[in-house]
Amino acid sequence: MEQHQGMTVPPRDPDQVMRLSRLGSFHQSRLSFMRILLRRMESESWRFERPVFDIDAAGTGRAVYTAHGPEHSYSLVAFANDLPADQRSDRVIATAWDATFALFDGVPTTADLDRLEQNVPRQEAGRITESELSLSRANRSVRLWDHVVERLAAGQQPDRTTVEEVGYLMRTTAVYGSGKFGAADRERTAERPEFQPPFQIEMLSVYLTRAFVMDLVEHMALMRAPDTATALDPDLRRRFGIGNSTGLGMAPFLVTHPALLNNWIGAREEALSRIRSLPGASSSEAASLRAFARRAAAHVGEWHSEHPAQIAKLDALGADMQALLAHLENADLCADHPWNRLWLWGENALSLEGQELLASLLLEPYPHLVDGLASCMAADESATWRIDGAMSVARLRELVERIYGWALATDWNDPAAQARVWYVSEEKLEPRLGERSTEPLEPYEQPLCPGRDAARMHADLAATRETTVAGFLMRHPEHRHILRRAQIAARLPYAEIRDNTIDASVLPIDMLRMKLSFFGASHFDPRSDRWVRINMYQHAPFPHELGTRSGDDWAYPFLNGAVS
Amino acid sequence: MTWSLNEIETLSRKAARGAGLSWGLAEEAGKAARWLAAAGLPGPQVLADLLTRNDGRDYETLCPHEEHEGTWIARGGTLCPLISGAALSDHAGRLAQGDALTLGRTASPMLLLPYLDAAAQLSGRDITVSWDGVTVACGPAMRPDPGAEAALGVAIVDSVTIKSTPSSGNATPRPAQGRADIAPETAARLDAFARRTYAPETPESRLSGAGAGLTDND
Repeated sequence: MEQHQGMTVPPRDPDQVMRLSRLGSFHQSRLSFMRILLRRMESESWRFERPVFDIDAAGTGRAVYTAHGPEHSYSLVAFANDLPADQRSDRVIATAWDATFALFDGVPTTADLDRLEQNVPRQEAGRITESELSLSRANRSVRLWDHVVERLAAGQQPDRTTVEEVGYLMRTTAVYGSGKFGAADRERTAERPEFQPPFQIEMLSVYLTRAFVMDLVEHMALMRAPDTATALDPDLRRRFGIGNSTGLGMAPFLVTHPALLNNWIGAREEALSRIRSLPGASSSEAASLRAFARRAAAHVGEWHSEHPAQIAKLDALGADMQALLAHLENADLCADHPWNRLWLWGENALSLEGQELLASLLLEPYPHLVDGLASCMAADESATWRIDGAMSVARLRELVERIYGWALATDWNDPAAQARVWYVSEEKLEPRLGERSTEPLEPYEQPLCPGRDAARMHADLAATRETTVAGFLMRHPEHRHILRRAQIAARLPYAEIRDNTIDASVLPIDMLRMKLSFFGASHFDPRSDRWVRINMYQHAPFPHELGTRSGDDWAYPFLNGAVS
Repeated sequence: MTWSLNEIETLSRKAARGAGLSWGLAEEAGKAARWLAAAGLPGPQVLADLLTRNDGRDYETLCPHEEHEGTWIARGGTLCPLISGAALSDHAGRLAQGDALTLGRTASPMLLLPYLDAAAQLSGRDITVSWDGVTVACGPAMRPDPGAEAALGVAIVDSVTIKSTPSSGNATPRPAQGRADIAPETAARLDAFARRTYAPETPESRLSGAGAGLTDND
């Protein structure tokens, strides 16, 4: 097809991509932050050591895990606790945890460890300094923890099915970075190459946390039965990820960081566009895609949820994978823009979950087209943040109509369209979602509903006699927030979620899912419409294995008998 | 105990909102306090003083009105630097044309500096701002007069003069601080304003707001 040689498939339209149902169907990919981190640490031959591991038989004490990069070293400082069961809660309201952590910038002295021991176990109630880059905590999955300790103490391996049902021994419940509770601001480290991509500090902290947790469980078995205890089989060991339980606190971040959101989505859409534009593929690239599709199908088979919405999505995704594997058996994946043809087939044949998994899969065979985009995913929000007061009101109206067309077509007088209110609770200082009609929350509403706000501004733009944005804002300071967003979204096409974040039917877990997929999480398991559990780094090599096992090829389970 | 700049911005933004500014203005107030703190100036304290002074006053009494060409005054008698600052930033193009502006009686004029710095960057011009006892050249090389701390921190001035000149191209980076101290008394005042943005919990919201209810102990 000579005439197609130069065909370029443009990135998808933000009106298609930025809907909550689609964002809530995203999966990890080559551009996930965990994979970016592990690729770097592998290619730069980072060294790891455990200078401190001082944990007693009750499971109380401290440990330090240090990662040495080319220029800087970073240390996870871990404090293990013997937590009574009745104090174990994943919610942010908890005040004690099984383990608490800080990521230290460098290698801590004993004095540093003593200082941190006074503060880190208290989490929000303590105070850290610019020497610390993150603060976090984790709780055991009691059921699996007890099983693994018992088996290892008896000299046996844990039951693989039981391991896979839960997938992790501890769940983190918050990983605070960027200046929280006194920690170093992101600006302090953003110039270091290893922290240029987003959330690398947090991903490093979680990666080292997983190593600590696995060492701890083996240590506890050894302390219980020094004569009989054994270590985990390395292959089974890698099946343990680290869990995470994430609530509403994460959702507003996507709205308050529009440039960052744009760059995440934009990088992924650019990657997909590049691959759909390829005129042909080699037989090895085609084989690679087929192999990853089989592994992805295996992953879907291992993904469980008790939430009705996710069960329905997983049922559809299971059928999608069967349809995809059947289609791939006979499809020509080498000639005539094979990936674009496959993509267009998928748009008709697959659910949103399946389409977005296909998008992630298409990136797998092409590290040289995809991985470099990792450097485009950070954002300087300040670069697009200042309002352009010289813009004409007429121009602003056009922009609003283009970007928020869906919102101008929404009937905001319908109570269902404004059913919810985002607010911050006095008790926990955390974002919450309430019911506008039954709770006295409206005076406390947070600006997390861009569609409704854009529609309100549009009405005032139609009525104003002002001709410039500067003049309009002088009279309408209440629109300053949304006007800024509109100007940002005019320059950054994926900056705005183009959906109603306060609708009666909104599922905040869609926002959490999108963000967590970029982290590289898997096994999304919503526990309600606003709270989700995930698994991170499952199947990934441990620090001591980096270099002998791939730091990148771990995000899908390995097929039986296959060696990475 | 030092604060991260992120903490300073967050607390200042919430405090400004709690004191009654619109969200958009409050966001810029948070950035202004952060910017001043990073420049080694007492931004959070000046913000706390201003919010205390203007607590309960309507936007209409605090915002600028162009009394005649090039002169802004407040109907209530004293301009709010957060509102005027945002308007000055919005009017960066006008300043770039070389127009001079005079502000009438203005509270806490130090808070104008971050906005004028932004206007200088937006317009590619140097902007010089003066009030009784102090002149500051805003832009890439912001240079407060040495020893002008007292004049910079004044609570109210009768007039502020803003002039723009072609950029000197003097791009000396100003000393930036990555942390700042806030006096406990200042933090407490800002926190009291910030608390107005938090909704009191009800038994219903306590249970449903975060969507919990299932066990975590598994």
